[in-house]
Amino acid sequence: MVRNNSNTISIAISGVGGQGVLTLAEILAKTALAEGLNVRVGEIHGMAQRGGHVVCTIRIGDGAKGPVIDAGTADLLVGFEPVETLREIHLIKKNGCVVMSSHVQYPVAVSMGQAEYPTHESILRSIGEFTDRVIEFDAMDIALKSGSSYALNMVMFGAILGTGLVPISKDSALRAIRESFPKRFEKINIDAAETGFSTVKSCL
Amino acid sequence: MAKPQELLEDNPGKTLLLLANEAIARGVLEAGVRLVALYPGTPSSEIGNNLTVMAPHIPNFYFEFSTNEKVALEVAGAAAIAGVRSMMVCKGPGLNVAADPFFSLAYVGVRAGMIIIVADDPSMWSSQNENDSRYYALMGNMPMMEPSDPIEAKSMLLEAYKYSEMFELPVLFRTTTRVNHTRAPVTFGRIPTLPQKVEFEKEPFRFVPIPSVARTRHPWLLKQVEKAREVSETSPLNFTEGEGELGIITCGVSYNYVRESLVEMDIQAEILKLGITHPIPEKKIIAFLCKHKRVVIVEELEPFIETHTRRLAQLHDVSVEILGKEQGYFSRVGEYSPRIVMEALCRIINCNTPINWEEIDDRARKIPEIPPRPPLLCAGCPHRATYYAIRAATRGKAIYPSDIGCYTLSIAPPLETADILFDMGSSITTACGLSEVTDQDVVATIGDSTFFASGLPGIVDAVYNQHRICLVVLDNRTTAMTGHQPHPGTGITGMQKKVQALDIEEVCKGLGVKYVKTVYPFESIAGLVGEVREMVKWARDNHSPAVLVSKEPCALLTAADRRREGIVLPKYYVESETCNACKRCLNRLSCPAMYMNPETEKAVIDETLCNLCGTCIAVCPQGAIKREAE
Ligand SMILES: Cc1ncc(C[n+]2csc(CCOP(=O)(O)OP(=O)(O)O)c2C)c(N)n1
Ligand code: SF4
Ligand code: SF4
Repeated sequence: MVRNNSNTISIAISGVGGQGVLTLAEILAKTALAEGLNVRVGEIHGMAQRGGHVVCTIRIGDGAKGPVIDAGTADLLVGFEPVETLREIHLIKKNGCVVMSSHVQYPVAVSMGQAEYPTHESILRSIGEFTDRVIEFDAMDIALKSGSSYALNMVMFGAILGTGLVPISKDSALRAIRESFPKRFEKINIDAAETGFSTVKSCL
Repeated sequence: MAKPQELLEDNPGKTLLLLANEAIARGVLEAGVRLVALYPGTPSSEIGNNLTVMAPHIPNFYFEFSTNEKVALEVAGAAAIAGVRSMMVCKGPGLNVAADPFFSLAYVGVRAGMIIIVADDPSMWSSQNENDSRYYALMGNMPMMEPSDPIEAKSMLLEAYKYSEMFELPVLFRTTTRVNHTRAPVTFGRIPTLPQKVEFEKEPFRFVPIPSVARTRHPWLLKQVEKAREVSETSPLNFTEGEGELGIITCGVSYNYVRESLVEMDIQAEILKLGITHPIPEKKIIAFLCKHKRVVIVEELEPFIETHTRRLAQLHDVSVEILGKEQGYFSRVGEYSPRIVMEALCRIINCNTPINWEEIDDRARKIPEIPPRPPLLCAGCPHRATYYAIRAATRGKAIYPSDIGCYTLSIAPPLETADILFDMGSSITTACGLSEVTDQDVVATIGDSTFFASGLPGIVDAVYNQHRICLVVLDNRTTAMTGHQPHPGTGITGMQKKVQALDIEEVCKGLGVKYVKTVYPFESIAGLVGEVREMVKWARDNHSPAVLVSKEPCALLTAADRRREGIVLPKYYVESETCNACKRCLNRLSCPAMYMNPETEKAVIDETLCNLCGTCIAVCPQGAIKREAE
């Protein structure tokens, strides 16, 4: 089958409300726009944000008209947390790339003993049913080492660019980070993005 | 996160990545709108969030967070009648609240352009229903436009003001979540200067629709709609594109899915895209129907255009196959996506979908169960402490009428303190009804913003009719659910002016409530439990309403303040040796910052998530939860 809009790259970002998924989506898209690319972002606000599961979509390229990514059409799935990655795995296209942070944030249902958190092996096995290209690392650890758990999304920003799948240069990404956040968080955010970038590069 | 200040820049030609809601806020400036009034509601909330920051910087501009949508529509309607451009914004259910003035406004009409933005929510991401507001346009005879993306949200808005002025009618500007919350590159246009104050010219026999006036206005209105239809026939907002045997009529966000689908499926079709969906361009649609043997209608929710199209085909005896919801090709439930459009088109033209979705669905079904992660009250949310106390005091046995806000999330275990809810304000009124026909205690809860928006008539009802209800007002000093807008209890206006805040306790007393107390949920859980017990007893003994105001700011506000000011407070932790793994903290409080460490099998507090409320200390029977020394 001919995919006519193969000049469009679709990225889904999945995480937990409060982890900075929305901010990452916007800054990534803003950087793409600054590079002269057409872009659409799909966000979920309101009820869906209160600590629940959040997905954001970014589509870059001329074929991007709407924001929605259907099952089997994401080139890249970025997961801020293992089960949240698994929850959206159906989005990934054949041989698409998954970038996942291994740091676990337990859902309340698990804390209350009403549900079980799947084992790491079973999560990886299920992901493996959809694609072989999985890059996994502890992004929370990098964020904390960079200076703050709030930098988690910037670690993931670096990680996305590290895959080389998104037509954005690292320089413009770092510029976007500098322009988007207060000066006093700059070093933390830049360090986080740089380490995310190099960690993923070294996994390839 | 596009900064509201950026939306103020007088920099025509500049392109920014904007949500449709931000594009609309910018459009307000470019259209020379003089007054905007709204009550927040997702998916429309960011329009107000941006305008309130922009407002003090725009000369002669007025913005308000109105008490509720009915108020907002009346404020904005009067401004447009006085002769300045105005706007009202609401979510779908908000238009229900404003329905009364909505219908009258169409009868009397406006002297300057007026737009009513209504944001529907297919799939109900954050709404109590997914009703299709387009029927309001039909029922009220009000022109309507539907943008398909953020770019159109601004360009069409400018056209909508002209359209409104051409026919002296407000225009309903209907969006959906996937338009409001999509970001796209939007290019700025010119900003005109706003007029100073205008003089209100009296014309009571137009603007006071007593029956004799209304009888003349109804035919006028119908005539205006027909004139508007003539413009709709030739308007570039209703256009065709592409060529092909197959015809597709679409509007709103579905238009994007149709375009993507045709490319993915590599097929040809002619699209008729409607921007003005009331009054529809009948001649244009008939001509389109005559050109094609098969026409597919793609629109989310109700078969609004589909029904019109079928009516026209029948009326004009066009022999054409019209395919849509009536034959089950499309659903009336939930939002669409390219996949949904492709699957329907493939069934219609009898071909395979470009992606084997069944296979993917099959694989997804085989994934072992994933623990759910629904939205919940934030770590450190004051509502959690209050509900914990309400439940403890009434041992889960009272009826708990709830209302609309973050606190509705207390429906989930273990708090389970939401039993009945219709709409904003219904906590109080449903409590009244329940208290008359049951013998159970009734403890209703309502947020501070909802209290002002639509709680007051219920309180009057309870006082005057002597309903023995208990009400806890969850006063977190903000409208949290929709993004932390101010309300009459906060002391800040939409223009960012500091004013005297209305005091909820005083308001209740003023309305005649005899039992009102303010309590502070983080001070003492045991104390709060006692207060709830006392209130319940008083309401029973006195057969009258009793109110507690539980006052503590939203945890996200306090956390943001701390972050901004660089304040680091002592942390809470579980003393592992003392914790006997009884799980009471997890099972009774369900704070998302706490979990069982699978290795030590002891409770732990995730310090990156903890918002330092201290409620868990009171819940632990072992005294294992501690706070670091200052
Ligand atoms: C008619 C109507 N208008 C607006 C909304 C959007 N909305 C949802 S919750 C809410 C108010 C939330 O504020 P509050 O009652 O103070 O509770 P909080 O979220 O702060 O806990 C609003 C306006 C709605 N659901 N229905
Ligand atoms: S862990 Fe305890 S102190 Fe921290 S937010 Fe949760 S209940 Fe409050
Ligand atoms: S946003 Fe505020 S009110 Fe809403 S759940 Fe979080 S802490 Fe509670």
